[in-house]
Amino acid sequence: MPDSARPPLAADFRLLVQGVVDYAILMLDPTGHVVTWNAGAERINGHAAGEIIGKHFSVFYPPEDNLAGKPARELEQAVAEGRLEDEGWRIRKDGTRYWANVATTPLRDGNGALRGFSQVTRDVTDRRAAEKALFESEELFRLLVQGVLDYAIFMLDPAGNVVSWNGGAERIKGYAPEEIIGKHFSVFYPPEDNLAGKPARELKQAVAEGRLEDEGWRIRKDGTRFWANVVITPLYDDNDVLRGFGKVTRDLTERRNAEQALDERRRLLGHLVHAQELERRRIAWDVHDDSIQSMVAVGMRLQLLAGRLSEEHRATMDKLDDAVRATISRLRTLVFQLRPTSIDRHGLVATLDDFLRDVVTGWGVVPVLHHDGLTEEPPTEIAITIFRICQEAITNVRKHARASSLDLYLSTVDGGTRTRVVDDGIGFRLTEMPPEPMEHFGLIEMRERAETAGGWWSVVGTPDHGTTVEFWLPNPGSAGEGRS
Amino acid sequence: MSALPIVLRVLISDDDPMIRDALREVLEAEPDIEVVGAAGDADEAIELAGEHGPAVVVLDVRMPGGGGPRAAREILRHQPGTRILAFSAYDDSGTVAEMMRAGSVEYLLKGASNIEIVAAVRRAGTI
Repeated sequence: MPDSARPPLAADFRLLVQGVVDYAILMLDPTGHVVTWNAGAERINGHAAGEIIGKHFSVFYPPEDNLAGKPARELEQAVAEGRLEDEGWRIRKDGTRYWANVATTPLRDGNGALRGFSQVTRDVTDRRAAEKALFESEELFRLLVQGVLDYAIFMLDPAGNVVSWNGGAERIKGYAPEEIIGKHFSVFYPPEDNLAGKPARELKQAVAEGRLEDEGWRIRKDGTRFWANVVITPLYDDNDVLRGFGKVTRDLTERRNAEQALDERRRLLGHLVHAQELERRRIAWDVHDDSIQSMVAVGMRLQLLAGRLSEEHRATMDKLDDAVRATISRLRTLVFQLRPTSIDRHGLVATLDDFLRDVVTGWGVVPVLHHDGLTEEPPTEIAITIFRICQEAITNVRKHARASSLDLYLSTVDGGTRTRVVDDGIGFRLTEMPPEPMEHFGLIEMRERAETAGGWWSVVGTPDHGTTVEFWLPNPGSAGEGRS
Repeated sequence: MSALPIVLRVLISDDDPMIRDALREVLEAEPDIEVVGAAGDADEAIELAGEHGPAVVVLDVRMPGGGGPRAAREILRHQPGTRILAFSAYDDSGTVAEMMRAGSVEYLLKGASNIEIVAAVRRAGTI
């Protein structure tokens, strides 16, 4: 039998135990006196074998543990449970402390009589310090995040459900943690963004690009809007598995308002829109006061002339007169498209009222204009924009909604005008919508008109329960500006 | 109609000379209507109405000098028996309401046929 294959002898085990330096491995007699001592015990504890053998193991415990009777209790527990693991402070020979992990096992002979205990001790002071430091830094970090009030800082799981919520999030968005944790983060987005699939798209983009930054309207718990700067960062674990997203949101409503007052580009755009409207108005008035009047005079003279002609020529003259009338009618339509002239003189309510009565009633829809909430007529430039968006929204109702009623609500809110166009038609059926609904039905145009004027716009549709187009435009500067 | 006892005296007022002339011709072609004057703005309309005392004044709505509404109010203040017929290219309810409030008895949209114009003037004159 080769040497390596012989069964190990007790002496081999003794050598093995003696040589281990990373663990203190020692034996106690049944009353707790040290019987054996290895190199690791000496290294960790500081005592040489000769100094410690025969001493009671309670010398390793700090005074407060001895006072509490811990050494004896631990032996009793090891006997009762067959094993005991403990972590705690222990004392070196030089009086310094180390944090020890100690496993105590009772040793019994073949008859089951207690022969003593084995103790395996590790010095885990460094590990404990590291853990404690980590715990403390994590706790500090948690407190830091929790305490930030100017930023909503929270986490989403990979599907976009909220899993954490800080004080800033509560302050900015209005939800208490227990109200929002577990909910999908799309509740923060306005309906028009949800319709366009924006929440899911932003997560996808964050994953693809490692980060996503966005500015736009978001919705508070109470339904009001705020202008938000949002950064979404995907979070991965050590195995590169997506664990969720970090989301940091700032409320920029105030800054945005301030910026808007200064934003050069927007100002220029505003000038452009203003200039365009002035030009349209000028053309509208010219057509109205000149071209239409001339055609009216021509028509009257043609009819006079016709009366003096013989029967055979009168038919020709009548045709000419019909052509003149048709032209007058077309010019009137052109003027209205260029600029509903009555807005300048009679304001938004009267103009919308005429529009609903003259245009919408003909479709078999019963339109109602509710303007009790409008305490202040918007300035003409804003009125024009409101009118144009209404025109677009109402055209959609005619083309797509199959509605039987149409309600238009105007109200003065937050220093501006809120308009709602509500029908009782078929609503949105997402499955039947073209892939990019925002690009159809002039939705983008309506939204851009509203946002160029510094406001917001949204659309909500429920299948079989109609569609609501809602938008708000601020009244700039002094009320009544632009009225003549 | 043919038995109208007197000739209907009409004043017309429009700042557009082409309309003014055409309207005069249309009305004067009728044997029972006499055009007593043609004004180019509100002030002239008020003045000529005071001078001639017409039964009917055909008033354009947008004219210099305060337009049809002012002319109508002033004329009716001095001669309450006068009948005002608004004749305008504006078809919005705001403008119509403005003229009716100022006292006109009828609102005729420009583009109406000559027959309709003449009928409206006669109607106004017989109220």
